[in-house]
Amino acid sequence: MFGADTAPPIAFALERVCKRYGAVIALDEVSLSFAAGSTTALIGSSGAGKSTVLRLLLGLDWPDQGVVWTDGAILQRADVLELRRRVGYVIQEGGLFPHLTVLENLALLPRHMGWKTAQVHARASELAELTHLSRDVLQRYPAELSGGQRQRVALMRALMLDPDALLLDEPLGALDPLVRHELQDELKRIFDQLGKTVIVVTHDLAEAAWFAERLVLFRDGKVLQDGRLLDLCDRPADEFVTRFVRAQRSLPEASA
Amino acid sequence: MKRALLTVLAMLPVLAWAAPVRIGSKQFTESVILGELVRLNAQQAGVDARHQRELGGTSILWSALQHGDIDAYPEYTGTISHELLKDMPADADLPALREKLKPLGIGITDSLGFSDTYAIGMQEQRAAKLGITRISDLARHPELRFGFSNEFMDRADGWPGVRQRYGLAQTQVRGLDHTLSYRAVASGAVDAIDLYSTDAEIPYYHLRTLDDDRHYFPRYEAVFLYRLELERSAPAFMASLRKLSGRIDEAAMQRMNAEVKLDGMKETDVAARFLSVAPGGHDDGFWQRLWQRSAEHVKLVALSLGLAVVLAIPLGILSARWKRTGHLVIGLTGILQTVPSLAMFVFMIPLLGIGTWPAIAALFLYSLLPIVRNTHAGLVGIPLELRESAAALGLPGSVRLRRVELPMATRSILAGIKTAAVINVGTATLAALIGAGGYGQPILTGIRLDNIGLILEGAVPAAVLALLVQGLFEGIERWLTPRGLRLEARQ
Repeated sequence: MFGADTAPPIAFALERVCKRYGAVIALDEVSLSFAAGSTTALIGSSGAGKSTVLRLLLGLDWPDQGVVWTDGAILQRADVLELRRRVGYVIQEGGLFPHLTVLENLALLPRHMGWKTAQVHARASELAELTHLSRDVLQRYPAELSGGQRQRVALMRALMLDPDALLLDEPLGALDPLVRHELQDELKRIFDQLGKTVIVVTHDLAEAAWFAERLVLFRDGKVLQDGRLLDLCDRPADEFVTRFVRAQRSLPEASA
Repeated sequence: MKRALLTVLAMLPVLAWAAPVRIGSKQFTESVILGELVRLNAQQAGVDARHQRELGGTSILWSALQHGDIDAYPEYTGTISHELLKDMPADADLPALREKLKPLGIGITDSLGFSDTYAIGMQEQRAAKLGITRISDLARHPELRFGFSNEFMDRADGWPGVRQRYGLAQTQVRGLDHTLSYRAVASGAVDAIDLYSTDAEIPYYHLRTLDDDRHYFPRYEAVFLYRLELERSAPAFMASLRKLSGRIDEAAMQRMNAEVKLDGMKETDVAARFLSVAPGGHDDGFWQRLWQRSAEHVKLVALSLGLAVVLAIPLGILSARWKRTGHLVIGLTGILQTVPSLAMFVFMIPLLGIGTWPAIAALFLYSLLPIVRNTHAGLVGIPLELRESAAALGLPGSVRLRRVELPMATRSILAGIKTAAVINVGTATLAALIGAGGYGQPILTGIRLDNIGLILEGAVPAAVLALLVQGLFEGIERWLTPRGLRLEARQ
């Protein structure tokens, strides 16, 4: 289906972006671009600036210097509502509204956009199927859900309007290892199935490599290395990359 | 739908009154009797007159008269020269006062026939034991404890002047309600109190009136102050008022005071007997009175609260959105909260007169802080990631506020409204002092007449209403708080 010679268009880009929070430099002259339909994982230690990238792409924060490009145009404050509706955003704890049922959480934006109830229900069922969420969960409140269910619902909410892109900030960070492993599989399947532009932030190298071919490693507000897992292992940009890669502990050999 | 409830609370029927000639009286028995005398006398002459009883102290009556909220009230010459006109000599006579009041649009009648002078009294036995007969004798006993009415404490012609004239050094001086001070001196809680010379309690409690041997207290001739425009607008009333001049002597006044305070007769009946007319009107039964006062009280609370909700929630929202505005708004409403309630009611008179509306305005101002503060706290307390999730969905600010932020702050906002409502039920009892009625009316009268039954007639329903309001809001809270939030709180 894709033209063989033309490169896919750029969905998001940062151009020489600096962002400071008080004395902390979150991003230091970072330039990055994300091709439409690609999956990218942003990795690095806490506070390295990877979450800030997502916040800037959504207009939740604004760069002190440099510009943010979305769909080939510089992002303006007037455009953020429209942009956010085309981009799904999932955070670590799900960010579900506790006073609304799952269905009401899902319906919030579609109803504002003028969808009919039946339309909302149909889309919710469709997504419940996609995320393997049992239908009776739709009537429950967030307080009645398990951590894994909450993240499935958060993903569904992000997908309600069938956005072009998904930004996920540590989506599995708060889950226990079994649930986390299961959801890693499911997310990977969903990313592949939907073919959207996906940017996922994680500090787990194995998880990042499972989701995406392209890994962007951040340290102290700078991009340290941008490449495949193999590049990080075989041609590390500097000693920190090696340390970061080695920090992923593998299981001790059972026979040893 | 659910929100409509608050609107309904604010839409209780508004009573309107229009009174042809409005007579006021202060919060003590003699003043109330004189008010009734003039009202009945005017009715006898075919003039429709209304009497707003027990409107607090001199400052409230004087302010109300000047602003045209009442047309006439009984006053004493000494008070006029010392308190109201300030720069008059103590012995100023009636023509001099009349001259001075005229530019203010206020007239003064001739003396009603008696003088009610301030005096200082002690228990007969105690005074005899200490050998005190004159005020100057008090200087020899600096250990004595005085309990003076609050007005007497502050007035230029009251305690400050007496202390200076007689060189008194007593330091244990407390402010008391005048009617309570008799019981205080009788029980020995204080040694000396201020008196009015026509008080019925003087013989009853066996008090010795100390001789004013340095002639400090001026004569307090009883007169009526009235708005000069009555001469034109209500000549029949003025004629009936003038006919009372010189007709009430000291003995008659002391007897009428005694009939009310000691024999438990009604002011109206006492005044009617003096005038030899039928008291007219009918006595409302207990339930009728209770119903009327409840209606007045609920109206005060509901309207002030309703208006406060309408203003305070938006103010709370603004405060949560803009930090600096928030500091300012919460600071200002906090300052309002510190104004003593009686002072707040009195401040309202020049702006809104007396009666229901100034009381509602004062209660409204008191209600702002708890609601603003709780709205602000409820909104600011929403976790940042939830506020950002709503923003990241692409919902505009107004939808976020309506669908996410306000529902999540519901409990805090309702708690603020509940606090304001319960405080209002209590504070509204003071509104009777500016003629707004309510449960404060029987409490005031009960304190004045030393009638516990009457005090309870106001205090018990006020307490019940406070509990009902509390219960009502707890119900509303359960009903309005989203189920998801209750589930979350339980975890």
